[in-house]
Amino acid sequence: MDSSNDEALDIIITNVVATFRTRCHLNLRTIALEGTNVIYKPEVGKVLMKLRKPMITASIWSSGKIICTGATSEDEAKLGARRLARCLQKLGFKVRFSAFKVVNVLAVCSMPFAVHLIDFTKNNRPIASYEPELHPAATYRIKNLKATIQVFSTGSLTVTGPNVQNVATAVEQVYPLLFECQKPLCK
Amino acid sequence: MSAAGMRCPACGSTNIVDDDLYSQAQLVCVDCGSVVSEGVLANDPVGGSDVSFSRTTAVAKRPCANLIKGELLPSKGSFPLLLQCNSVLLLVHFLKCICFTPTGQQRVKAICRILMVNREIEDLSHTYYKMAYEHKAFLKVSLQKKDILTGCCVLVSCRQLNWPITVGTISCLLDADSMVVGAIYQEMVKNLSIEAPIINVTDVIEAHCHEYKISSLDVPEELAENSRELTKRAVALVELAADSWIVTGRKPIPIMMAATYLAWQSLKPNKHRLKFSLDKFCQVAKVKKLKSAMTRVAEIKEVLCKLGKEIPWVRETVTPDNVIQLVECILQNRYALLRRAMRTHEDALLEESQASCAEAPPESSSQISECADQTPITSFVKQNGSNSDGKEKPGDADYNPRVLPEHSGTQESQNPPQNWGKRVLFAPPCVIHAKKRRAEQPEHTDVTGDEEISDSEIDSYIRTPQEARDFALMQQMLSLSDSAKS
Repeated sequence: MDSSNDEALDIIITNVVATFRTRCHLNLRTIALEGTNVIYKPEVGKVLMKLRKPMITASIWSSGKIICTGATSEDEAKLGARRLARCLQKLGFKVRFSAFKVVNVLAVCSMPFAVHLIDFTKNNRPIASYEPELHPAATYRIKNLKATIQVFSTGSLTVTGPNVQNVATAVEQVYPLLFECQKPLCK
Repeated sequence: MSAAGMRCPACGSTNIVDDDLYSQAQLVCVDCGSVVSEGVLANDPVGGSDVSFSRTTAVAKRPCANLIKGELLPSKGSFPLLLQCNSVLLLVHFLKCICFTPTGQQRVKAICRILMVNREIEDLSHTYYKMAYEHKAFLKVSLQKKDILTGCCVLVSCRQLNWPITVGTISCLLDADSMVVGAIYQEMVKNLSIEAPIINVTDVIEAHCHEYKISSLDVPEELAENSRELTKRAVALVELAADSWIVTGRKPIPIMMAATYLAWQSLKPNKHRLKFSLDKFCQVAKVKKLKSAMTRVAEIKEVLCKLGKEIPWVRETVTPDNVIQLVECILQNRYALLRRAMRTHEDALLEESQASCAEAPPESSSQISECADQTPITSFVKQNGSNSDGKEKPGDADYNPRVLPEHSGTQESQNPPQNWGKRVLFAPPCVIHAKKRRAEQPEHTDVTGDEEISDSEIDSYIRTPQEARDFALMQQMLSLSDSAKS
């Protein structure tokens, strides 16, 4: 049965990073010449291409490996990647869209309470670590989900993980631990 | 390099100087001319040989440079000299001068002696250094990392045995960037599976206050202050800052500097002291001023003003200029004043909300459409801690991840958590001035990833052949003009 809905926690995905391969060699100079919205970086050996509709930036390497960043959902990342592959096809390369994989998902979430980071770290050693002089947030790494959660004392979280499901599970796992160490907002 | 503490075996004088003979380092007594000690004729270059240890093809490999005793090391007798130096900076300088190529263990010893820690901490640091040095994660790292490792071992031991020092102190001693020190510290703690307690700002502030040369021996009487009283007042100020969201998420040293300055001013709040700016105070106390300390001073003064308003017998308005005289009173009764301030603020908010209640109905619809801009990809439903039926504890609540439709009523609850900075009296600046989130287009949530991509869309990303030719021409012209100019 559902528990009573007093508050819903929204996990907002801010960035999805995906990679795919075109299975063919790409001539970067041709892309730089005939593509719009491209930035050629010969010193690094890649071309940055920015798409408008899903707001995506892609790093294109001459080996045919492409990294897409900036999407706000996994489906959007796939759409952007396919659009990019079509674009390269039109430029004359024999592109086959393959090995699409979402590599990293970054999400932010906000707890409705503040968190006492020192207590949180003490209760969850060694999974949690907190060095106030180096970084203001406590880091909590969930090994089996391969997710990293950074907890700020204002109650904001940033979560990174390999896919959206892991990110959601990570937030669910960490919520009760944070609830135990909450700081009352007033004082 | 000096040869402090050495005596000439022939005549017993201490007047020994470096007098290198071509490439041979020699220590010569000035009075009788005898050579006290000399180095080998062909040394390894300073800092180890050019070929790194792991790559040498020498058949009989010499042990790593870090393990060999270097030349011209400080003798046992020079350590008392170290202890006489009453400034950390002077000690660091001395350490660098006299330790030509110290081994790692000797460096650990030197750092422990400089910080004047007790025997247990020194032994523990040596143990940790030995463990870390032989751990496979640190076998092939650079010499600089191994040097920083010495400081990290001391830091861990101090933390475990309740001796408060900051990462900043260690990085100052090692002359390294505190981020690098921090990274190696965390790596070491992870590899050796050590647990070290986190230090609180209040623990470190005593050590910090001792650094200020503000006792009656160093400065004229009217500026002097007893170290213990200064520490006590500064600790109270830091605790107040911690309660009002000034400490969280910030670097500790500027806060301690601000607290010490305000404590010094408030212990004798006469015109003379109040005219002293933070710059002048740091100059007098011979401490390096930090930029962010000024903002911390302003923030603490703001909190003091908020509390000063609640003092019943104060008639005139409390401003940051005249609040210093009230600091003693505020700190003595700070908890009572905090409670009063909260209550006053809540009453004020209640009045405001009652006044705006009359205009509530037309506002709620605009609130929902505002929240629809956000793109919640998954939301899960959780039972509130203060549940009215009180059946389940928060730990037992069921978590059901659900995708909520965009225009649901629960969207309204999003607003209060985001604006809690405006609701309460004390909140961190990042919440009071929260960044506005970029408004998402609603069509993005309907993307499936496998849609048709029309040709016209793709064409917008490709230049026509004419455009491409023009672009190539323009690039050629630009490069020609660049080379013509240069």
